[in-house]
Amino acid sequence: MSSLYLNLSFGAYFLAMVFYTASLFFKNKIFPQAARFFIICGILGLSIYIGARWQAALRPPLSNMFESLVVFGWAIAVLLIFIDLKYKTKAINALTALMGLLALGYASLLDKEIVPLLPALKSNWLTLHVLTCFIGYAALTVAFVSSIIILCNKEEHKNLDNISHKIIAFGFLFLTLGIISGSVWANSAWGTYWSWDPKETWSLITWVIYAIYLHARLKRGWKGKKAAWLSVIGFIAMLFTYFGVNYLLAGLHSYAS
Amino acid sequence: MRIKQTKIWGFFSSIRLAIWLLSTIAFFSLIGTFIPQSTIYSSWWFILLLVLFSLNLIVCILNRFALKNRSWGSFVSHLSILIILCGALIGILFGQKDLLKISKGQEVSSFMSRGKKVNLGFSLRLNEFIYNENIDAKERLLVYRNTKAEKGVCDVHNKPLATKESEGFLAEVPINPGIEQDIGNTGYQIKVLRYLPDFVMDTSTKQVLSRSASPNNPALQVELKDSRGGVKTAWLFARFPDIHQEVSADFRIFYHWAPRRPKDFISKVTILKDGKEILSRDIQVNAPLNFAGYNFFQTSYDSQDLSWTGLQVVKDPGVPVIYAGFVLLIVGLVMIFYVGPLFKGDN
Repeated sequence: MSSLYLNLSFGAYFLAMVFYTASLFFKNKIFPQAARFFIICGILGLSIYIGARWQAALRPPLSNMFESLVVFGWAIAVLLIFIDLKYKTKAINALTALMGLLALGYASLLDKEIVPLLPALKSNWLTLHVLTCFIGYAALTVAFVSSIIILCNKEEHKNLDNISHKIIAFGFLFLTLGIISGSVWANSAWGTYWSWDPKETWSLITWVIYAIYLHARLKRGWKGKKAAWLSVIGFIAMLFTYFGVNYLLAGLHSYAS
Repeated sequence: MRIKQTKIWGFFSSIRLAIWLLSTIAFFSLIGTFIPQSTIYSSWWFILLLVLFSLNLIVCILNRFALKNRSWGSFVSHLSILIILCGALIGILFGQKDLLKISKGQEVSSFMSRGKKVNLGFSLRLNEFIYNENIDAKERLLVYRNTKAEKGVCDVHNKPLATKESEGFLAEVPINPGIEQDIGNTGYQIKVLRYLPDFVMDTSTKQVLSRSASPNNPALQVELKDSRGGVKTAWLFARFPDIHQEVSADFRIFYHWAPRRPKDFISKVTILKDGKEILSRDIQVNAPLNFAGYNFFQTSYDSQDLSWTGLQVVKDPGVPVIYAGFVLLIVGLVMIFYVGPLFKGDN
């Protein structure tokens, strides 16, 4: 299967990042417009790539590290467009485009061969589980970017803090959906809804960190830098759930690496 | 003194305690993932943490619900966590679970759950266990002209030393069992008849069979047809390219094997009651069998011995409670984050 559309999207993400970065330094309206154009090109390119791979594999392409990274990169860009149009925060846009670029860049280093699904993955829950997880991951990535900007700024940024909170709420909802769909799927495949497998446990740890973020913010007034640190810790846990568990710890999900 | 004014009530109603408990639970869960076969999650102190957390949750829910401007989303989502924990408790107390190892032809009518024998009230017989594999695209036959120089074409790790560029190379044939395929333009056709992952021949009966499902000695039986219709069959061995039988005076055929991935695990079973067959079904991963409240899941098998299957039998009355908790959790979160703000205006 050709990687043309994957590579084109990678190029489009790169240009989007360049133009978003340029819009940080130059007032000209053409820069954010160009960036939006390229990010939409990137989303379309990846959609075509995912669709073609779906057709070639005769199943949704959501079953290994490579395929999940492509979906991750896609979800980050879709979220970026919404964040850009809603909040117009240039620094978030540029860094989020970079995160999308990193996801695709990492994907391009991996084996792209289409392999048949293992029996455990042949389920309608696969699509729901992977999509909800990666929409959640993409949102938490944007929240991380926003938190990093808060931490790098000397003065308080109420706006960024608000954005972080809203995106974390959204990401938390999807993380919950991801864990629940995974749990229901495990129960229908193996008869246990929770087995403390490393991937499950780490997703719960990530979920608990963001639950703490939401409570600490609401009830104990943790805002600004304090809350941003929690968001960064949550993001690190999310990365470990995604990559660390696959590479370092064995378990039910190890076939997905 | 009313209970709500006691110190203990105050202690359990604090968000600070909730944050500490959540952090501690997350921390020990984390430690557990680095210990293989960890027993942390079933240790008394981990369960104590969960009990303390549940008490914390109950007090918070009661306090919050007493408020006039109560948030329904917050109430529903916190209650859902409690319901999920209750579901887990019901499973621990009343759930029945065991891994059944059933051999071909064997009937099972009871199992052991937490040291107690449970009678199913019916019996389950394994008729057959079927294990199918996907043929890898890299698996193929390499055909060479019969020159003696091509000996030892594979090294010990089954990596072909001879390639398409080697002297005498004629054709590469993919593995499509049962289909006659041309060998280049030689006029010959080849058909794959049988695949045995672990070839062995019974020396007394001369019967050929696979000792296990592990690829210890992958072998392929092929049928070669020449242009005049003459037919010959032979076994090709991936690991022993030199000891294959003479297929044809014209060719040497090498079997390049590649790891096959599991495709299906199917247990063909029959349910019997009072000696009468009631129903026959296939149990597969992601397609369990439910009968009289007991669920049977395809969870394990033995690649060394395909004559038995591993079925997980489960009866867990906690599952519907857990699922109700899941639904409420989603509803609660959507109410907090999206439905609530609609009525309060954007903040």
